[in-house]
Amino acid sequence: MHAALPSTPRAAIVTHGLTKHYGKVQALVGLTLEVPAGEIFGFLGPNGAGKSTLIRTLLGFLHPTGGSATVLGRDVVSDSVAIRARTGYLPGGIALYDSLSGAATLDYLSDLQDSNPVRREELCERLQMPPSVLRRRVRDYSRGMRQKIGVIQALQCDPELAILDEPTEGLDPLMQQAFYSIMDDLRAQGRTIFFSSHVLSEVERICDRVAIFRAGHLMALQHVSELLDRRKRKVELRWRGVAPDLSTIPGLADVVVSGDRMRATLLGEVAPFVRAIASPSLEDLTIEPARLEEAFLEYYAGDEASEEVRG
Amino acid sequence: MNLRLLRQTLRWNRARLLPIMVASFGWGMLIPTIYVSFAAAFKQVAGQVPFLKDLMNFGSGSLFTLPGSMTLGLQHPIAIAFVAIFAVGSTTGAIAGAREAGTLEVLLSRPISRHAVYLTTALATVILMALVLAALLGGEMAGVALQNLGAEVDLWQLPLVLANGLLLWSAFAAFGMAASVTFDRHAPAIGLTMAFLLINYFLEILGSLWKDVSWTQEYSLFHHFNAGEILTGKADPFDFAVLAVAVLLPVIYALIVFPRRDLAAPS
Repeated sequence: MHAALPSTPRAAIVTHGLTKHYGKVQALVGLTLEVPAGEIFGFLGPNGAGKSTLIRTLLGFLHPTGGSATVLGRDVVSDSVAIRARTGYLPGGIALYDSLSGAATLDYLSDLQDSNPVRREELCERLQMPPSVLRRRVRDYSRGMRQKIGVIQALQCDPELAILDEPTEGLDPLMQQAFYSIMDDLRAQGRTIFFSSHVLSEVERICDRVAIFRAGHLMALQHVSELLDRRKRKVELRWRGVAPDLSTIPGLADVVVSGDRMRATLLGEVAPFVRAIASPSLEDLTIEPARLEEAFLEYYAGDEASEEVRG
Repeated sequence: MNLRLLRQTLRWNRARLLPIMVASFGWGMLIPTIYVSFAAAFKQVAGQVPFLKDLMNFGSGSLFTLPGSMTLGLQHPIAIAFVAIFAVGSTTGAIAGAREAGTLEVLLSRPISRHAVYLTTALATVILMALVLAALLGGEMAGVALQNLGAEVDLWQLPLVLANGLLLWSAFAAFGMAASVTFDRHAPAIGLTMAFLLINYFLEILGSLWKDVSWTQEYSLFHHFNAGEILTGKADPFDFAVLAVAVLLPVIYALIVFPRRDLAAPS
């Protein structure tokens, strides 16, 4: 059992026109967003889109060029120490102290956090880091084990807000599932997760809302379900005899008929389409689920950044 | 200041501190022995070859007196190497090195201000340097006792020698910390600090060996650490003042610059 959250403000993260320039390079441009407490918020973008800049600004590592931001009700410039006291952070490609054992690393970091590692045991169990492994020095760990230590150190003190930069990087599929399940539990317990990734399938799997960044600009900010609703699905059907009349189905496009098969894309609700094609001559029907990847690629269409996207 | 960080920083340095202290003690103990064994012979040779006399007044030290020999022992490259491991190596590694390795990010993601990280690292360095200097001086005192030379130096002045030495090395450490907060990589920080140390050493040695340019010594921080003068009751407060300023300037710089620096993701 974990304690109920103390008076967490309704919005865990608020930014107003947040801007960060490195010389002439615009890393963040006028970012305005609000992440309510208790939400798992994902933000997507290829390398260089501004994800890490946003995280580092929220934690006080970078100073904004313009605009303002608060985390857990505190200003990121003047109150960053107080923010970090209530936040767990997993940096992308975390570096650890090689000379320490896994257990000593976790002890040291929770000591510095000045907070009890109330979740450590549970996290170690779920991420399969038994005491025998924790006794080994970090320098002997594989990349995946280091990443697990990174996840555990970020969450072990049960922070109100966790900021995770590509948390499943290096985890095997089994551990990714364990991580998703931990995220589900944190959501159920009202914790806020700010989650950066370019693995679209996991953002789709665990996030409530998603922001898509491109070159420092916020391109989209929506609920994952809304974003998916607006995506085109690929449909394919096969029939016997006379082809069904598809001309009146709203949202159907890119129709290609070859023999007894038809491929098309469908935008919007599925029900009218299913009703229209319902006929004894229908032999087979495939409707692929809408993927976040397509939404993402749409925002990056024509941009070489899309090459970095993984499904 | 953060006690947990201080404790861990000292713990990390424990493994190299112990052998360095033992070696420093041994080196210190050797100095009075060298003085007893060779000073008379050196004096005789120097009397015949005046050039050698200058060579034996190396830096602020001298091979012809016990206090001078002790100063020489503390300014010898071997002693400098022992203390510089912490004054240069630890300080430049503390911020720039940790930043390059990525561990500074992990540290600063805890509720610790950059001022606290700086001051804690600085204090740890001062403690480590004090222990090495104490070992050097302790070795010299043990050598003095072994050779029955206690009457030639005022042992009550030892704390002042330690303070003077600590101020000298704190100045180099403060410079190292200032370089460390300025750069994102260890190499330029350690390179700049080593250059600063070597230039100071060069000015001191050049002035001591070449009388026409003896004024260069005044511009060396090493010139303001003179154990020999202190041990003969001639401590100069000006030396302490100069070194104190040399400590304070880079500390003020670092305390202003470090919290204002952008710490972008390590590349």
